[in-house]
Amino acid sequence: MHVIIFSWEYPPRVVGQLANYVREVAVQLAKNNVKTTVVTYHDFLTGQHEEQEGIIIYRVTNPVRTHIGVLTWVLTLNQEVERAAANIYYNAHKQVDLIDVHDWHFTPAAVTLKKALNLPFVFSVESLEEHRSHGANSPFNMAIKSLEWLGMYEAEKLVVKSEWMRDEIYRLYKVPLEKIKVIQPKSVNWIKNILETYKSVAGGTASK
Amino acid sequence: MTKELTVMMLTWEFPPRIIGGISPHVYYLSRNLAKNGVKVYVVTCDFPEAPQHEVVDGVEVFRIDSYKNPSPDFATWVYLMNVNMQKEAAALVNSISGNVDIFHAHDWLVANAGIGLKHVFRKPLLTTIHSTEIGRRNGIHFDYERMIHETEAWLTYEAWKVICCSDYMVSHVKWAFGLPTDKLVMIPNGVDAEAYTRMEQDDLSSFRGKFALPEEKIVLFVGRLVYEKGVHVLVNAVPKVLEKVNAKFIIVGNGYMKEQLSNIVKNMGLAHKVQFTGFVDDETLRKLQKCADVSVVPSLFEPFGIVALEAMAAKSPVVVSDTGGLSEIVEHDVTGVKVYANNPESLAWGITKVLLDENFANLIKANAYKKVQEKYNWNKIAQQTKANYETVLSEYSKSFWA
Repeated sequence: MHVIIFSWEYPPRVVGQLANYVREVAVQLAKNNVKTTVVTYHDFLTGQHEEQEGIIIYRVTNPVRTHIGVLTWVLTLNQEVERAAANIYYNAHKQVDLIDVHDWHFTPAAVTLKKALNLPFVFSVESLEEHRSHGANSPFNMAIKSLEWLGMYEAEKLVVKSEWMRDEIYRLYKVPLEKIKVIQPKSVNWIKNILETYKSVAGGTASK
Repeated sequence: MTKELTVMMLTWEFPPRIIGGISPHVYYLSRNLAKNGVKVYVVTCDFPEAPQHEVVDGVEVFRIDSYKNPSPDFATWVYLMNVNMQKEAAALVNSISGNVDIFHAHDWLVANAGIGLKHVFRKPLLTTIHSTEIGRRNGIHFDYERMIHETEAWLTYEAWKVICCSDYMVSHVKWAFGLPTDKLVMIPNGVDAEAYTRMEQDDLSSFRGKFALPEEKIVLFVGRLVYEKGVHVLVNAVPKVLEKVNAKFIIVGNGYMKEQLSNIVKNMGLAHKVQFTGFVDDETLRKLQKCADVSVVPSLFEPFGIVALEAMAAKSPVVVSDTGGLSEIVEHDVTGVKVYANNPESLAWGITKVLLDENFANLIKANAYKKVQEKYNWNKIAQQTKANYETVLSEYSKSFWA
């Protein structure tokens, strides 16, 4: 199995909890013989790099340097994530089974790749704009929420870390509960459950 | 290459959605490419009442939901719209088994979609740069403008070829983004001359009577009433022209200078000689252009100058300022008269020259009409564009993406 992971943070770029969590997922996947490629952002450490566990890290930077906000920054950066993923896909002779997107930032790239190349994706939700912005609903927050919605709508499965988050996603976005997998990071079957979710998604989108 | 050359145009406006010059440009280019055996898909923004999918003169038009995401400002709207455009276009290409040879993006407004589709399908991207942020704003002053400027630069970087509509724009774009010369292609803008020849037999005397007395010559200005269009130069030229010729000045268009200009005209005591019509529909505009004894384009900045071409197609003699794209369209004393930009004396001289010398006026308008048919003919422009697509595809076929 070959998975491409999208995350806007990955060590050495650590913004919050996500960076180290994503690295731990990648390490465990590699141990379980899953070919794992991570596409992430770094301002200047760009290009392809192999970590000792066998994980391939592909770092891209923003092609547009000047921005008026996080949204425009994310949306131009998405094109580089998409370009990197397309390169990985073609270089692997199209042998990529799925994409795992962590949080909303790179959902647009995952959606285009799904529509263009029939690559299914899992949306791993770490946090939601509703909670980050304490219910703010300015056009800026609503735009981010609309991208979260897009990711949830187009994803084959959602992976969350708690039942609380599953219920919040159901409350806020009306995602069918059976589409959401609760996989607790500290649990015994953590990586086994992630692998099972990947397997259920790999091999084409539901629409195909 | 697929069986027939297939191109997917990306544009943020296509009729009936008309915001600026890109909409008619893509409309005429697409239908003439279709006439020349190119399969054309147009992916564009939606518009009230316009269908999501239709075939217009052999061109497949797909309209995407462009107001799906709430947006804090125009530029963010553009990037969010590109998420949906890219998603829909990707699904469309996938549904036709990837049978698209070239993606053709018009201006930065569809940069993200064009660049994304290029990489996911590994097909060449072309772009037409109609205008630049640095030109529109006369420099880059704020982060908002710089972001757009850098997005334009990124689009030209990712494109296989960059098409511009005038030699002036070629050198401007080359300077603005530091592009190599061999990446730039000049293919002019066109004009639909048939729209005017269709009116050849119409009797326009009663229509003309609504605007001017029979003994008054009509001097026509068409354009936004903004500083860079130089309409204030024309207003200052009015008394100088009236010293020599009895004329009526018709000013078509709206803009922030309208009130100020009409006050100046009133204070000069010439309100009966200058009429501000505001926006007019296409048919009225074409009739006015046919009736005009002289059409004036006194711009201070002009990337192309389509309104001069329209006047030439309408067989109205033109007087233009010697600047930007206008300098190329008009050959002095052959297809029109060129005057110094921002100089009312010079403009009045040009207008008077045309109005007082009927033989000269007839000569330049006949030459201009011939030029329009030879150079600014959409069928020829489509053929040049097609040849350019073929050149790109032959280069592409030798690349590792092919």
